[in-house]
Amino acid sequence: MSKKALVTGITGQDGAYLAELLLEKGYEVHGIRRRASLFNTDRIDHLYQDPHLAGTRLFLHYGDMTDSSSLIRIIQQVLPDEIYNLAAQSHVAVSFEEPEYTANSDALGALRILEAIRLLGLEKKTRFYQASTSELYGLVQETPQKETTPFYPRSPYAVAKLYAYWITVNYREAYGIFACNGILFNHESPLRGETFVTRKITRALARIKLGLQDCLYLGNLNAKRDWGHARDYVEMQWLMLQQEKPEDFVIATGAQYSVRDFINAAAKELGIQIGWKGEGVDEKGYDGHGKCVVSVDPRYFRPTEVETLLGDPTRAKEKLGWTPQITFDELVAEMVREDLKTAERDELVKRHGYKSMDYHE
Amino acid sequence: MSNPGSPRRALICGVTGQDGTYLAKLLLDNNYQVFGTSRDAQTSSFPGLSQLGIRNRVETLSMSPIDFRSVLQVVSRVKPHEIYNLSGQSSVGLSFIQPVETYESISLGVQNLLEVIRFVDPSIRFYNAGSSECFGDTGGVPADESTPLHPHSPYAVAKAAANWQVAVYREAYGLFACTGILFNHESPLRSERFVTRKIVAAASRIAKGSNEKLKLGNIDIRRDWGWAPEYVDAMMRMLAHPKPEDFVIATGFTQSLRDFVATVFSEAGLNWEDHVIFDSDLIRPSEPMESRANPRKAHELLSWKPECVGRDIAKRMFWAEYK
Repeated sequence: MSKKALVTGITGQDGAYLAELLLEKGYEVHGIRRRASLFNTDRIDHLYQDPHLAGTRLFLHYGDMTDSSSLIRIIQQVLPDEIYNLAAQSHVAVSFEEPEYTANSDALGALRILEAIRLLGLEKKTRFYQASTSELYGLVQETPQKETTPFYPRSPYAVAKLYAYWITVNYREAYGIFACNGILFNHESPLRGETFVTRKITRALARIKLGLQDCLYLGNLNAKRDWGHARDYVEMQWLMLQQEKPEDFVIATGAQYSVRDFINAAAKELGIQIGWKGEGVDEKGYDGHGKCVVSVDPRYFRPTEVETLLGDPTRAKEKLGWTPQITFDELVAEMVREDLKTAERDELVKRHGYKSMDYHE
Repeated sequence: MSNPGSPRRALICGVTGQDGTYLAKLLLDNNYQVFGTSRDAQTSSFPGLSQLGIRNRVETLSMSPIDFRSVLQVVSRVKPHEIYNLSGQSSVGLSFIQPVETYESISLGVQNLLEVIRFVDPSIRFYNAGSSECFGDTGGVPADESTPLHPHSPYAVAKAAANWQVAVYREAYGLFACTGILFNHESPLRSERFVTRKIVAAASRIAKGSNEKLKLGNIDIRRDWGWAPEYVDAMMRMLAHPKPEDFVIATGFTQSLRDFVATVFSEAGLNWEDHVIFDSDLIRPSEPMESRANPRKAHELLSWKPECVGRDIAKRMFWAEYK
């Protein structure tokens, strides 16, 4: 019998990569998707299998992190060996606008799943992975950050994730559930949501290159992050649930770049050399023809900024033999390549008189 | 804002509990106009307020902290200068049975109050009741304001999240919002759900002739127990401080539950070992063995120093009960 995995947030970036990995490893994969009036399964479209055919190993269930009964019912039906809780309102800036929803889905959502494991009597069967985040470190108390670094969350998102982190630890200690936190630093890919800064940059620069857009507006260009590739990171999520004993891990590359560095690297991939002028809110980036292509918009500043994050993945390397394979430059190159393809398609469509979406933020 | 000479208005969310009751008394004594909330103020009899003789001096209102509308209505109507949030599910033991309700009443309650303050009047000063349970086991090191949190129960995890949400709103929006990280604080108004009052009540009945046995779980846990009426004074001082900051409020003296039990029974003229039996059902799924506190910051910046410490707590509680 193949192992069964249940992935919440399967329609997101990590969910898609993880589902692919688990299918490769022979798992039967069940995913939870929210009901929406638009299709929201783009990222797993290539993995979709027609349920009318025999031998199908990917199944999608309607459910919602804010609906206990839906979660209990799905877990009861699937009886998974492993649950990966990747579902969340995962945008830091949006959490300032929707703090209650963020808490409900990110904090209580994790608790609802842990409670479902308990009340279905699956404490000894079902292993639980909680997607924790480097945002927990917020106003960093030491650099680099490792598993023992104290937290200092700086957004409603980070506070909700802090609750989910500790309740996961608590259910491990109190009820012996095999439950672990992966404290993942930023991880990107061509599947990253378009409103996250890396994807916003690669998408905008590709469109600027093809004349579909004029300028890219961003918030804090000095923010420094430890950026890895989601494909590397989901492997670590799986590895964590294969350990002998449940333990929490920092997942990071150990290298740090600023948002400005990311822009420079992405522009270089497109053959654009960016010249920077001005400082603070007046800083602008110009292309080779002196046209302003990057500009700061204070609208994107956050009420409290997280200036710097840098992870120390030593424990992951020593205990699970994990090291990230994809470099920063390769990550940027892949994201730019994919966004350029999409921009080329949009440009082609437009040139022939058909409508293409601009998807303004 | 208030006219010169008119009293400051304080809103106490959770006025039926031990702390809410003592705080109402203290604020009245300091010439505040005091408003207090309970989830259903119509049916609650506010026995604590009656016991302290201030039932008629506190205007009580219904408010459910998890319901944004009700919070908004109460705050808009009262127009308080200060809000003290003492509401929320407060039992560690019960939090293992009702983890979701615990989270909602604690974390969502704080969330709603903070958002309402932003909405109605960002100059309102806000006190939130934190908890020493958030520290977990500090390995004998006295916890202060910079000690990392390691919560060990759904109650403590919810309080930790609330603690940080207050900090986020203070830093993000410049609110005067602070958390008092209070270590255990007891009084005759403690409910019998809490172990200290349970011990005192049983010892008092036994001293009066009852032949019951007192069932207890782990009596080797060690806590810093203080006297609640003194702790509410620290709350008021925190909101009178020039800057919003978090403070650890404790006596700095840790004793074991065994010692607390022995003190109570000895006041009653009894040998505790004759009356106490161990009950494994009362052992919690997880809990810190020892809590230890360093309340120096409160001493230095708030000039707050408790007078009732150590065995005095057990003695005072027993005699209030026995009467």
